[in-house]
Amino acid sequence: MYSRGVWTTLRHALASAAGTAAPFVTVALLWQAFAMFGPFPPKLFPGVDKVVTTFVRLIVSGILPAHALSTLLRLAVAFALGALVGVTVGMLMGRSRWAERLLLPIVSVGNPIPGLAYAPLFVIWFGLGNLPAILLVAFAAAFPIAVNTWSGVRAVKEIWIRAAQSMGAQERQLFRSVVLPGALPYVLTGLRLGLARAWRVLVAVEMLTAVGFGLGWLIFGAREFLNTDVMLAGLATIGLVGLVLEKLVFERLEQYTVVRWGMLTR
Amino acid sequence: MSPLGIVLSFGLAAIAWEVFARSGMLPPAITPSVIAIGGAVGRMALDGSLFVHIAYTMFRIIVGLVLALLVGVPIGMLMGRFRRVESFVLPLVSVLSPIPSLAWVPLFILWFGLGNAASIALVLYAATFPVILNTWTGVKSVNRIWVRAAEAMGAGERAVFRRVVLPGSLAFVIAGLRQAFARAWIAVVGGEMIAATSWGLGWVIFDSKEYLNTDVMLGSLFVIGVLGLGIERVVFLMLEHRTVGRWGMVKTVQT
Repeated sequence: MYSRGVWTTLRHALASAAGTAAPFVTVALLWQAFAMFGPFPPKLFPGVDKVVTTFVRLIVSGILPAHALSTLLRLAVAFALGALVGVTVGMLMGRSRWAERLLLPIVSVGNPIPGLAYAPLFVIWFGLGNLPAILLVAFAAAFPIAVNTWSGVRAVKEIWIRAAQSMGAQERQLFRSVVLPGALPYVLTGLRLGLARAWRVLVAVEMLTAVGFGLGWLIFGAREFLNTDVMLAGLATIGLVGLVLEKLVFERLEQYTVVRWGMLTR
Repeated sequence: MSPLGIVLSFGLAAIAWEVFARSGMLPPAITPSVIAIGGAVGRMALDGSLFVHIAYTMFRIIVGLVLALLVGVPIGMLMGRFRRVESFVLPLVSVLSPIPSLAWVPLFILWFGLGNAASIALVLYAATFPVILNTWTGVKSVNRIWVRAAEAMGAGERAVFRRVVLPGSLAFVIAGLRQAFARAWIAVVGGEMIAATSWGLGWVIFDSKEYLNTDVMLGSLFVIGVLGLGIERVVFLMLEHRTVGRWGMVKTVQT
C-alpha cells in the first residue's frame, strides 16, 4: 500500500516534469531543424548543441557568472535608489495637495518616455561606465513606483484615517500605522513594475555605456566577433535571471506581507 | 489635473531647468536652455524632418503591433479554449517574456540587417507577450453562465465563439494592446538607436549625440513623451470607450 503510494507520487512527478519539458524540447527540435536546413549559415544561426556547449563552457570558465553578477549588483544599487526616490515622491504626492499638483503632470509625461531614450544624454552628462548606467536605471524605475505609491496612498480608506485620528493618532503614527500598510499592496505592485522596467533598461543600457562587465555588454560585444552562440547563451541567462527575480523575489515578498495581512488573496 | 495646474507645473519645471542651465555648473553646450530646446523642436517642425521621424517611428510601431495582434490573439484564444495548448505555450511564454526585447537587438541585426525589419521584429517581440497573456486571461474570464446560456439557446461552437467569447474577452484584449503599446514604444526607440537607420525619433537622439546637439536630443525626448502619452490617453481610451465601454462591460472615464 505504502510503496504503491510512493510509485504513484513518483509517476505523477515524472509526468508533470515531462509536461513541463515537452514545450522546450519541441522548440529545441524545431530550432535545430531550422539551424540545419534553414537559410542561415551556421555562424549566424547556431544549433542547440552549439549553444548548450557554449553555455556550459562559459559557466565553467566563470565568464558568465562574472557578467551576471556585475549586472545583478548594478541592478540592486539602481533599483534601491529608484525605489527610494519613487516611494518618496509618490508619498509626497499622495499626502500633499501641492506636491500632487506640481509633480503629477511631470510624472505623467515622464512615465511613458522610454528610459533608454535618455541614455545618450546621460552619457554626455555623466560619462561612460557605471555611473550613467546606474543613474539611468534608477531614474527609469522611479516613475512606475511613484505613480503606484501615489494611487496607493489615495486608495487608503478615508474611514481608517478618521478612525485612527479620533483615537488620537498623531500625524507620524497615522502615517506609519495606517497609510503605509494601507498603501503597501499598491507600492509592491509599483516596485514590481519598477524592477521589471529596471531590468529591461539595464540590459539595454549596458550595450550603450560601455561598462566593462555585464550581460548586455556580453551580448553586444559578442556581435563584433559574430559569436552568435555566446549571444544566445547570454540571452538564456537573461531570461533565467528575469524569471527568478519575478518568481522568487516578488511572489515571496507579497506572500510575507500583504497576503498574510489578508489584504490580497492569492 | 486642471489645465492651470499643468501649465503651472511645467512652467516651474522649465524655470528650474533654466536656472540650472544658466548657473554654469555644467557647460551650456550640454545643458541647453529651454528656449534652445523649443527652438530645436520648432526648427525640426518647420523643415518637416520632425514629421518624417515621427512617421518612420509610427510606421514601425504600427506594423509591429498589427503583427503582434495577428500572432498573439489566436495563440491566446487557443490557450484559453484548449487545456493542451495552454500547458504547452505557457511555460514558453513565461521564460521568453522576461527577456528584455532590446537584448535581442544585436542578434536581430545579424539576422535581419540594419533598418526597418530589425525594428519591426523588435516591436513584434516586445508586443506579442502582453497580447497573448491578456487574451488568454480574457477568454478564461468569460462568464461560464453566458457560454451555457448561449449553448442552451442552441448556439454552435462557432456562434458561441463569435458572439460570446470574442466580445466577452475584448476588454482584456484591449488592455493587452495597451500594455503592448507601452512596451513597443520603449522597444522601438531603443531599437532605432542601436539598429541605426536614417530616420526615427530614437535615431535622431542617438545621431545628435555625435554632434553634441543636446537641444535636439532634449526636444526629441519631449516629443517622444508627449506623443506616447497622447496615444495612450486619446487612442486607447477612445477605443475602450467605443467598444467595451459602450457595451457596458467596463466603466470608462472620458478625459
